[in-house]
Amino acid sequence: MNRKMRGRGMASSWYGIARTATIDRAGAWAELDDGGTAKIVTGVTEIGEGILTVLAQVAAEELGVRPEDVTIGDNDTSRSPEAAHAGATRQTYMIGNSVALASRDARAKLFAEIADHWDVPVDSLRAFNGELWAQDTNLRMSMDEAVKTCKGRGVVPVGSASFTAHGTGLDPVDGSGSPWQAYVFGTQIAEVEVDTWTGEVQVLGIWAAHDVGRAINPRGVEGQIEGGVVQGLGQALMEDYQTEKGYTTTHGFAKYILPTSLDIPQINCTIVEDPDPLSPLQAKGIGEPALVPTAPAIMNAIYDAIGVRIKSLPATPEKILDALRNHVPGREQIAQSARQDRAEAHRRGL
Amino acid sequence: MPKIDLTMDVNGRKVVKQTEPHKRLLDFLREDLNLTGTKEGCGAGECGTCSVFVDGKLVKSCLMPAAKADGAKIETIEGLARPGSLTPVQQAFHKTGASQCGYCIPGMVMAATSALRENPDAGIEEIKERLGGNICRCTGYTKIFEAVEIARDVIAGRLPETALDEDATGESFIGANVRRLDAPSKVSGRLKYAADMKMVDMLQMQVLRAPMPHARIVSIDTSEAEAMDGVACVITADDVPGTDGFGVFIHDQPIMARGKVRHFGEAVAAVAAEDLVTARRALAKIKVEYEELPGIYAPEDALKPGAPVIHDYAQDNVIKHIPIRKGDIDKGFAEADLILEDEFRTQQVEHAYLEPEAGIAYVDHDDVVTVLSPSQNITHHRHMLAHILDLPINKVRFIMSPVGGGFGGKEDMIYQGMLALAAMKTHRPVQLNFTREESLVASAKRHPSRVKYKMGLKWSGEITAIEFDMLSDGGAYGMSSEGVMRKAAILSCGPYEVHNLKVDTKVVYTNNTPSGAFRTFGGMQAQFATESMMDMAAEALDMDPFELRRINMMRIGSRTHTQQELTTASLDRVLDAAEAASRWEAGAPKVRGPRRGDLGGPDARKPCTLGARIGDAADTETKDERVAS
Ligand code: FES
Ligand code: FES
Repeated sequence: MNRKMRGRGMASSWYGIARTATIDRAGAWAELDDGGTAKIVTGVTEIGEGILTVLAQVAAEELGVRPEDVTIGDNDTSRSPEAAHAGATRQTYMIGNSVALASRDARAKLFAEIADHWDVPVDSLRAFNGELWAQDTNLRMSMDEAVKTCKGRGVVPVGSASFTAHGTGLDPVDGSGSPWQAYVFGTQIAEVEVDTWTGEVQVLGIWAAHDVGRAINPRGVEGQIEGGVVQGLGQALMEDYQTEKGYTTTHGFAKYILPTSLDIPQINCTIVEDPDPLSPLQAKGIGEPALVPTAPAIMNAIYDAIGVRIKSLPATPEKILDALRNHVPGREQIAQSARQDRAEAHRRGL
Repeated sequence: MPKIDLTMDVNGRKVVKQTEPHKRLLDFLREDLNLTGTKEGCGAGECGTCSVFVDGKLVKSCLMPAAKADGAKIETIEGLARPGSLTPVQQAFHKTGASQCGYCIPGMVMAATSALRENPDAGIEEIKERLGGNICRCTGYTKIFEAVEIARDVIAGRLPETALDEDATGESFIGANVRRLDAPSKVSGRLKYAADMKMVDMLQMQVLRAPMPHARIVSIDTSEAEAMDGVACVITADDVPGTDGFGVFIHDQPIMARGKVRHFGEAVAAVAAEDLVTARRALAKIKVEYEELPGIYAPEDALKPGAPVIHDYAQDNVIKHIPIRKGDIDKGFAEADLILEDEFRTQQVEHAYLEPEAGIAYVDHDDVVTVLSPSQNITHHRHMLAHILDLPINKVRFIMSPVGGGFGGKEDMIYQGMLALAAMKTHRPVQLNFTREESLVASAKRHPSRVKYKMGLKWSGEITAIEFDMLSDGGAYGMSSEGVMRKAAILSCGPYEVHNLKVDTKVVYTNNTPSGAFRTFGGMQAQFATESMMDMAAEALDMDPFELRRINMMRIGSRTHTQQELTTASLDRVLDAAEAASRWEAGAPKVRGPRRGDLGGPDARKPCTLGARIGDAADTETKDERVAS
C-alpha cells in the first residue's frame, strides 16, 4: 500500500422542515411606512443563518420596496408577536411565510386605497423596488407617494398574519403519523486522502447537492451548506467531548479539537429546487440537513481508500491506525461472502 | 489593590488610564475602554476572537497582560476604518457573506488584515495558514477565503473596486444574492452581544458549580459569602418562589441544584456582586456539604436492574422510548437474500459556538422581570420562567440578544433563571458571562448513540426489512432528549421506502453532561448508521452506491417509515445532481480508491503538509470568475 491513499464515498439524507410531529405556527406584523419604507415585527429571527436578510428580501418583494428599506423589529416576547423558536430548520419556512403573508395583508390595504384613488381595478396594481404602477396604464408613483396618499385618505397600511405547518403526532404504539408537511433530501460525496503512516485523514473535496425548495438567497444557502459540512467533518474526524466517570476531561479548546481553516475541503454546492406546494414562498430549508450526510460520506470514502470501515465516530488518527493494524486485506470481502452463504442457506430453509 | 497607570496609543488616540494589575489587554480594551469589538471566545489563546494589533503585530489579547502593552500602539477592529466606512477586507466579507453569527468575525478580519499586510500577494494556501489561529464555527471558512482573495486583489489593483459591490438584482429579490443586512455591524465589531452590554449600576454574577457528578446536598451555608463587602446577594434553590423546573419536554431541571447534584459542573449557588473579582472570591466562601452517591456513566448501565436512580419520577432511568412499526419484519427478513448486521456509535459533541453563554436580567419600571440573552427559544423560556418565578406571563419578558452561534445549544434555559432571581432580589441589573470552561461543562451536547442495525436485501438491491435499535445517553437532565429520539426514529432508516421495519430509539439518564438539541436533532446519528449500512450492502451486492439508493429511494407516493404518503420527493434529482457535479465514476464500493479515475479534479483541493504553505509561490490568479458569477 502506498503511504497516501485516496478514495471517495457518498451518502444521502432526508430531513423534515419545522417542528416535529406537532402543529407549528409563527406570527408577524407588517407596516408600509413613510418614505416608502417598511416595518416588520416578528418574535424570533437571527442566530447567524442570515434570516434577517431573507425576511427583508421577502418583505421587500411582497411590499414593493427594497430590502434595505425594511426595518425588522424582533426577538422580544413583550413587543413582538409569537414566532416560537430559532431551530428545527423552521426560520425560512415558518417566519418567512408568516412575513410574506403579513406583508400581503399590509399591501392589500395600500392597494385598495390607491386603486380607489386612481380608479383602476385593484388587481391591475403592481409594486417593485420602490415603485407602484397600474398595468396597461401610465399611472405610476413611488412607494413614498403611495404611502402618503394612503395615509392622506386616513388609512395606515398595516397587516398581520400567522402561518401554520400541519404536522401530526405519532401513534404511541406503531409511530404512524405525518410529522412534517415538507421534506428535503440531500446527497454528498467526499474525497479523502488517508496517510497510512500517521492515520491522518484530509478531506479534499465535498460535493453537496441539497433540495431547499426555493433558494431565496443562494449565497446564504451555500453558506449554510458550507458551515454544515464543516461541522459534519469535525464530528467525523476530530471532535470528541469526553468525560471520565462523569468528570469532564475536555475542558477547553486545547483539548476539544475543532476544524480550522487548514482542514477545509473545497466545497462544491449544487442547489436543487423542488418547490413546496403548501406554502406561499415555496421555500423549505437547509440549516440542519446540510450536516447529515457529511460524516457517513467521509467514512465511506475512507473505506474506499484503505478498506477499513470506521463504525464509531470520530475517525481519529489513532482509530485509523488501529484499524489498519488489525486489517486483513480482503477480510471484509470474505466476511461478505460468508454472510451471503448464510443468507442463501437461510433462504433455502436450511 | 493598588492600581497601575497605563499609557497607550489606541486606534490613533492617546489613552492614559489607571486599571487593576490583574487585567489582560483584552479586559482593558473591553471593560476600561468599551472597545467590545474584541471578543473573548476562550480566554486561552485557542480561538482568535480577541485578535488585535500590538505595535503592528497580530496578538491574542487574552494572553497579554495589560501592563505588558504599556507604551504600545494598539489597533483594534474599531480602528481599522473611520466610523461609517469599511476597509476593503471588511467590504469583501460583506460582499461574500463571510459573516454568519459574526462572533469570530472581528478577530477573523484582524487576522485577514494581518495576512495581507504581511504579504499583499499571499496565495490562498498562505492565507489559510495565516487564518489558522482563528476558529469560525458557522461559515465553514469558505466564504471567508473568498473574501480575503477578493480583498487582496482589489488592494493590489488586480480587481476594480466595484468587485466589492453587491451583485445586481434582476426582476425579483427572491433568488437574489442580497448582501447580509447585518454584516456591516459584524465586520466592524459594532454589534453588541450580551457580554458586550453594560447597564448602569449593574452587578456581576458568578456561579458555584458541582465538583462531582452525583451527590446529595447535605447543607449549603452562604452566610459568610453574603456578609462580604460588595456582595449584593447569594442565591440557591431555596430562593425560587414558584414551581422550579425547566426542560423542553419534561421540566426535570431546577434552575440550581435542589437537594442533589446530577452532573459535574451543575449550578449549585450563585453570587451577584459589585464586580467580577468580588463575586469570584465570594464563591470560595460558600460552604456546601455533599454526600457522594453512586453514579451511572454509561447508558447501558442505566438500564441494569438495581442501577442507581437519578430522578425519582423515572425509576427505570428511561427518559423516552420511541417505537415505530411498519409491515412485518419477520416476513421481510425471510424474503431477504442477504442480511447484514452491525453496530455503530457516535460520540458526544460540543456545539462550540464562539460566543459563550451570557446574559443580563433586570426588573423594569412596570415590575417586569426582563432577561436579555442569546436564547434560541424566548417563547418557551418565558413560559417556564413565569412558572418558576410564580409571576403572570406578562410580567416576564425575554429579549433575544444577538446570538453568537447556537446550533441548538442555546435552547436550554440553563442560566437565565439564576439571573432573574438575582435581579428580583437586588432590584439591580445583573450580568453573567460564562467562561469557555464553564460553557463546556454546563451546556448540553449532541447525544452520543449506539445503533444496532439489521438490514435485509434481495439480490436485486431492494431492502426487505430493517431492524434499528438506538440507545442514547441523555445525561443528567431531559432537556430536548424526547424530541431528539423522536426525530432520530422518524428519520432512522433514511430516505428509502422500507415496507417492513421495526425502529426503537431510547434515551436514558446518566450522570454525564446532559445531551440536548444539536443541529439535526438525532437525524445525523441515525443516518450515519443507515448510510454506512447502505454502502456495506452495495459492496455485498456488487452494486454502485448510487444505484442501490435509487432502487430504494422515496418517490412521490411512497410511504415513509411513519406511513405518511409523500406528495413531493426530490431524492432522484438530488442524486443526479450530486453524481454529475462530482463526475462520479460508477462502481461497487470495493476499495477501489487506488483505481478510481475521478480523483484529484479541479474541484478538490490539494493535500497539504502543515507549515509548508507560507512562502509558496503566490497564487495571483484573479477572482474575475467568482466576481462575475
Ligand atoms: S484566543 Fe483569546 S479569547 Fe480565544
Ligand atoms: S460567523 Fe464565525 S463563529 Fe459565527
